Amino acid sequence: MDKISKIEELNSLSRRDFFKKTASVSAVAAAAILSPSSLFADDENIVHHTQWGTTLGNELNENPYGLPSKYEHNVVRRTSSLMSSAGDMHAAVSMTPLHELKGIITPNGLHFTRTHNGIAQIDPNKYRLMIHGLVDKPIVLTLEQLKRYPSESRIHFLECPSNGAGEWKGPQFNSLQFLKGMMSASEWTGVRLKTILDELGLKPTAKWMLAEGSDGSEMGRSVPVEKVLDDAMIVWGQNGEALRPEQGYPVRLLLPGWEANLCVKWLKRLEFSDKPWYAKEETSKYTALTASGRAIQHFYALEVNSVITSPCPERPWSDLIGGELVEIEGLAWSGHGTITNVDISLDGGKNWVEAKLKGLVLPKSWTRFSYMHKYVKEPLLLQSRAVDDSKNVQPTVNQEKAVMGVEGVYHRNSICTWEVTLKGEVNNVQVRSI
Amino acid sequence: MFKLDLYKLITTSVALVLSSTLLYGGSDTSTLPGKYISKMGAVDGGVIYPRKNGTYAAYRYNEQSTKGVNFGRIPTANELKAWDVDIMPDGTGLPEGEGSVSDGDELYEKQCASCHGEFGAGGHGYPTLTGGNQEKLPNGVIKTLTNQRIEPGMEAPKRTIGTYWPKATTLIWYIRDAMPYAHPKSLTNNDIYAITAYLLAQDNIVIDGKKMDSEYVLNKEKLMKIKMPNENGFYPNIDGPDGVENVRKFFSDRAKNIGAGTRCMKDCKDLSATGKEPTIMKIDNEITDVVPPYTTVRDLPPEVENKLVSKAEKMYNDACKLCHSSDKMGAPVIGDIEAWNKVTQKGFDKVVHNAIDGVGGMPPKGGFENFTNSEVQMIVEFMIDSSKKKH
Repeated sequence: MDKISKIEELNSLSRRDFFKKTASVSAVAAAAILSPSSLFADDENIVHHTQWGTTLGNELNENPYGLPSKYEHNVVRRTSSLMSSAGDMHAAVSMTPLHELKGIITPNGLHFTRTHNGIAQIDPNKYRLMIHGLVDKPIVLTLEQLKRYPSESRIHFLECPSNGAGEWKGPQFNSLQFLKGMMSASEWTGVRLKTILDELGLKPTAKWMLAEGSDGSEMGRSVPVEKVLDDAMIVWGQNGEALRPEQGYPVRLLLPGWEANLCVKWLKRLEFSDKPWYAKEETSKYTALTASGRAIQHFYALEVNSVITSPCPERPWSDLIGGELVEIEGLAWSGHGTITNVDISLDGGKNWVEAKLKGLVLPKSWTRFSYMHKYVKEPLLLQSRAVDDSKNVQPTVNQEKAVMGVEGVYHRNSICTWEVTLKGEVNNVQVRSI
Repeated sequence: MFKLDLYKLITTSVALVLSSTLLYGGSDTSTLPGKYISKMGAVDGGVIYPRKNGTYAAYRYNEQSTKGVNFGRIPTANELKAWDVDIMPDGTGLPEGEGSVSDGDELYEKQCASCHGEFGAGGHGYPTLTGGNQEKLPNGVIKTLTNQRIEPGMEAPKRTIGTYWPKATTLIWYIRDAMPYAHPKSLTNNDIYAITAYLLAQDNIVIDGKKMDSEYVLNKEKLMKIKMPNENGFYPNIDGPDGVENVRKFFSDRAKNIGAGTRCMKDCKDLSATGKEPTIMKIDNEITDVVPPYTTVRDLPPEVENKLVSKAEKMYNDACKLCHSSDKMGAPVIGDIEAWNKVTQKGFDKVVHNAIDGVGGMPPKGGFENFTNSEVQMIVEFMIDSSKKKH
């Protein structure tokens, strides 16, 4: 037995021990809460001084760039060799631990990462951005010059269109991190592309923009100019600091709500044209093959979506004894606009109640929802269903499958189901017709 | 003092009430947090939030003019020549050069086969490039692409260059900029045409009614004549002056084109397209191959050995690991004692010699020709050392 499973066993033992004691006094529980009781065992952590309360702590300059508590070392991105070529981690994807997050911001070190040719390490002094093509005045910029432009900061999610791609044919991973972890959210800082283009003079014949990365894969994608002029940004800041190398340091394109693949990292060049380009990543990949045998191309916005983050396979309800009120919490998001409603079902989609939204409710951003549930020990099929302000309702698996088939790989946004067992364990299942 | 503060407080609150009245009485009629003025009709099917009076959805912005913000400079002709090298389906940007199928065969063996398999047929975990039957249905759709694995054991659709890629220009562009994977941008234009010719020949692509035999020489003009078998396999149509409008129209009918839900609240039915009731589908074969392993435990991390990474190991990681860390690649895997015993039986000097000159599927110096011979020797030493029995 390895160390971690040993610890897990110890934890579950002590938990069981605790429940035994609690259960044995449940009849007098009310009285026990009201007055100090001798029915519970004393908690060692309360009745004795702690180690950290009786010694000098660490020096404040130990980590000039702060680090999480050592005890949080398991809160990390995870990957699987199945999501790469032959286990090669230069072209692979790592997943954000959504089960460990609260709120609507992902810490920079936990942002999911997808690379096609490794993580480029760019010297910011040698970084250049070129904008040219159908503009009156083409331009090259250094990083310092780019940062001189007036900045805006906005909170947006980024999602790989392959998020949950393994689940088209049925559930595969018993984990929230692997079901939905190919997404993260940050406050991004940069300049609106329109601010720069106003100065360069975009020609009326310009209909498309090529965004090109400078890493070994030279990721290229065609973007309609309309999106560019609406809310596209060139960003260099992520949650108050520089972009992480994994996110395209020093500069990436941000197309709010659209495939993260379109938000080209290590951005090198923007060219304007009257035609689209047919780059490799918008033809052989990132096109969704439907049952007709033809594929959807230029599939931009990530559709309305949601998932319950608590409970989830990693955060089950097995410590609940029944009778208590517990929060069902989750994330909803839409690349088409702003979340307006989220519904919850406890019976696999037959009946629904409306959940409450909480915290900031922003366009093309993660939105938290919450529902207080009186837990009784019984099997449940938990689902969430999001609605946005562009009149999108999240589809069931059957509804999505009827149009998209099961081989499309990209843009899977159908309703997720958590099976809660009698013991309170949580499993990834799907409600679908076979 | 109290009186004075109270007076201040009252005036401030009046001002606050006034300003907030102005704010809500203005163009922004939204009252609930999270409800924003918007209009439908964005190209992606979503809404557009107007920027007006310093307000954009939930955000305030500085509405002062940015005219005159002007940094950077005009690029030089040589800078444009160096970077403006994208390749479009109309041939814009295609480099001059030529290469034969047989030259491509040789290059492919040396540069590509270790990842993409013999003849581009895959098998090493990296993308399969060629093959797949291009047979078409009466409606012009390539048959293999209609495969849907709705039941276990069914055949997958084969997405290769021949069955899937819509444009041949994409191949030249991508191979030139992004391949070979471990040292992109190292091929000459002639190499690129040759490798492209080889790959297209594997998929029996016809140019001007002519099959590409091994002597066939591909160049810019001939490439422009290629019509890929799946050229019409994609929608909406993005070409021509109506391209963007076609996209907008497509995404405006999301229920029909990409699937949408309905907001039923009670006694909801969820039948399949063929009228079948849903059931609960559980995980059949759970994927547990995750790194690092799943755990939510809060404990102290295991002590990490303070190991110094040697120069040889770093070079190994950068240059050799790709092929020598997986038994799928046909190269002796680092740490595989038996495999390396076999290698070292040839004698150390021979092993170093092979690594410098290339052997089997391995190109000279693993394709990293800037390594000096003594650096290659260091790496070989490191690999042999890492593949010995540890005591």
